Amino acid sequence: MLNRKGILMGNKNILIISFILILSLLAGCGQDNIQANEKLNKNNDNLVIRLEGGDWGYPTPFLHYRRGPGAYKMKLIFDSLLEKDEKGLIPWLAKEWEIKNDGKEYIFKLNKNIKWHDGNKLTADDVKFTFEYYKAHPPVWNNLIVNGKNIIENVDIIDDYTIKFIVNEKNATYLERVGTMPIIPKHIWENVKDPLKFYREEAVIGCGPYKLTNYSREQGIYKFKAFENYWGPKQKVDVIEFVPVSDPILAFEKGDIDTLMASPDILNRYENNEGFKVTKNKPFWGYRLIFNMDNRPELKDKSLRKVFAYGINRDELVQKVARGAGIVASMGYLPKAHKWYNPDIKKYNFDIEKARKLINGKEYSFKLLIGNSPKEVKIAELIKLSLSKVGINIEVKSVDNKTRDGLVKKGDFELAIIGHGGWGRDPDLLRDMYYSSETMESNSPASGSLPGFYNEKINELALLQMKQLNFDERKETIYKLQEVIAQEVPQIPLFNTIGYFVFRPLKYDGWMYTYDHHYPEHCKLSYLERK
Amino acid sequence: MGRIINIIKDFSLVGKISLIALVIILIIAIFAPYLSKYPHDKPVASPLKSPTKEHILGTDDLGIDLWAQIIHGARISLIVGLGTALIAGVGGSTIGILAGYFGGFIDKFLMRLADVMIVLPELPTMIVLGVFFGSSIYNIIIVLSLFSWIKPARIVRSKTLSIKEENFIKIAQIYGAKFHYITIKHIMPYIFPLILISFIKLINRAIIAEASLSFLGLGDPTSKSWGLILNYAINFSGIYFTPYWKWWVLSPLIAITITVVSIAIIGREFEKIFKLKI
Repeated sequence: MLNRKGILMGNKNILIISFILILSLLAGCGQDNIQANEKLNKNNDNLVIRLEGGDWGYPTPFLHYRRGPGAYKMKLIFDSLLEKDEKGLIPWLAKEWEIKNDGKEYIFKLNKNIKWHDGNKLTADDVKFTFEYYKAHPPVWNNLIVNGKNIIENVDIIDDYTIKFIVNEKNATYLERVGTMPIIPKHIWENVKDPLKFYREEAVIGCGPYKLTNYSREQGIYKFKAFENYWGPKQKVDVIEFVPVSDPILAFEKGDIDTLMASPDILNRYENNEGFKVTKNKPFWGYRLIFNMDNRPELKDKSLRKVFAYGINRDELVQKVARGAGIVASMGYLPKAHKWYNPDIKKYNFDIEKARKLINGKEYSFKLLIGNSPKEVKIAELIKLSLSKVGINIEVKSVDNKTRDGLVKKGDFELAIIGHGGWGRDPDLLRDMYYSSETMESNSPASGSLPGFYNEKINELALLQMKQLNFDERKETIYKLQEVIAQEVPQIPLFNTIGYFVFRPLKYDGWMYTYDHHYPEHCKLSYLERK
Repeated sequence: MGRIINIIKDFSLVGKISLIALVIILIIAIFAPYLSKYPHDKPVASPLKSPTKEHILGTDDLGIDLWAQIIHGARISLIVGLGTALIAGVGGSTIGILAGYFGGFIDKFLMRLADVMIVLPELPTMIVLGVFFGSSIYNIIIVLSLFSWIKPARIVRSKTLSIKEENFIKIAQIYGAKFHYITIKHIMPYIFPLILISFIKLINRAIIAEASLSFLGLGDPTSKSWGLILNYAINFSGIYFTPYWKWWVLSPLIAITITVVSIAIIGREFEKIFKLKI
């Protein structure tokens, strides 16, 4: 009878807690008429934009997390030679460029008066240093490796503001590859032996529009402040803050954050409401199902892969998991909104009879690796159900998202579902993914080959397209490539999401989409003055 | 058994209602497959349908009937509750009797072990063990039992200690009665009410613990227990800004609440009648 009081309290507590729980559930639903936040900012002085936080690594080119939210924070600090707008590549640090010698020489003319955050001047020397440093120490998102080789043969300084790159061969993608690498200051990095351990304050000195003034890994906080001596267009947003958020919708409604990715179910709160504006994201983010043909050689059989293609109801995934806010992905990978998308390729509509015919009475069982986000769990559950009707037994293994990213990179899985952006990039991504090579070009989850997949025709087309500088010729090859990929089913692109981006236009209306990216928060030009 | 029925007759009105509620839940759990025409793990209708005659609790986002899930979840909650209570109750009482009766080294050893278990922070350790052993429902029962035997063991030990000093036990020992005989004939009748009440409380604890583990996403993902249904529902983006919470969140929540509250009340009734308070 020692614990008399303790247990009695326990009983009461249970009652009280369950009562409070129910009350708090009801409370969330009372306020149906929300108002747009009234914190107007007419002259935009000291405009502070708050966005959903989370730890995505220290924003240097070497230490950010390999996914978009990490890389694009880094790009606020570090500018590159070129930038992207709605239509394509635009001059940035380089005001003009020339391609010479049958596509083997790239000459960039830099803007003058570009200053690093610490006041030093940026010259061609820094650019040359950057590319040499990247050769020895590859950054997380490395565009400079093609088929296992660094594309830069030599970097020559012509004068303080003119620089010439000599590349290993002519290639349709090299301008973007060279142009989008973040430039780092020589006077800081020349003494850094191991950039993976360089966590000092100098590591985030760049020449970009924003300076990092606060970073907390534990809380997932970043604070960026406009750099007053920025060479380029004036910043419209003075401070960008990434703050920890437990429930994004509540935080947005309370005005704690300024943007929201809304699900279609709650869209009616913001549509037809003057205080809010809703834009549709581009479908350049999506989920795919990857086969590991090294670990399970039976998957090298094209007809077994087609069983998956016919046996998975991708339309159902869009309706139930994305709540209709998505499109069934193209079997040729490039999504419908991509400017190189080939609409006339094989579609693989859900057809259980066809799948049964192809599997021909055999039974298989596979382990499916997924992350732990509720959406992926649902995708896996639906795939499991529909494949079980065909005779494929799926055992789902759910791990932390970052663990899954790592396992997929290492090839340590049988089947895996992974979701990522970057589906709108240059179609050379088809080579990156479908060309059978062992090399890993970039650390991004949107990059990397399919383990064990080999197809002569795809290899040939993948290599051909990147050498075609003529737009129409290249387009034809890319179309053909998508066609062959759709016939071979090396992996199953499941669906692309169309997010609804909600913001308060009275507070800030500058959001834009670059031609190849799905999400305005990631675009540098969203925060700058436009002509 | 007759004794228990007599006790139940002495229950207050609330106690009797709770008992009826619990019996109904028990029946539902036992006959779950016959009480719903839909499976608990397959989509049968369009997603997020509000409650209708066809689907009395509506459907979730995959189109799975919620009533089928709730009654199937009752099974899991009760299996976990009863299983844990049985293992921890029997194990804990045995340890308590051994420690109380023999004293000395055995007592010290067992009680220090109990101290160690009390010092361990419960939820974090359960989470670690759950992750380590994998989350099947049996593992959850074992992990919960590991943390639940201490209270019954301590209570039973102190009662045993006091009974042991009674004269009739001393006399029985002088006449040659051994541990086994004394426990069954003399100690058990005294500690039975204690064990019964501990048992009821353990059921509750286990049901709540399983629901919290599943809610945190550490339960058995294929089991569809109440905690897991709640976890799925709450993770649905913006659920409180849609009408879906009215059936999807409330039904598992009410199921958990009714079960836990009625078991708690029954425990209290027993305490009152035995004039015991643990």
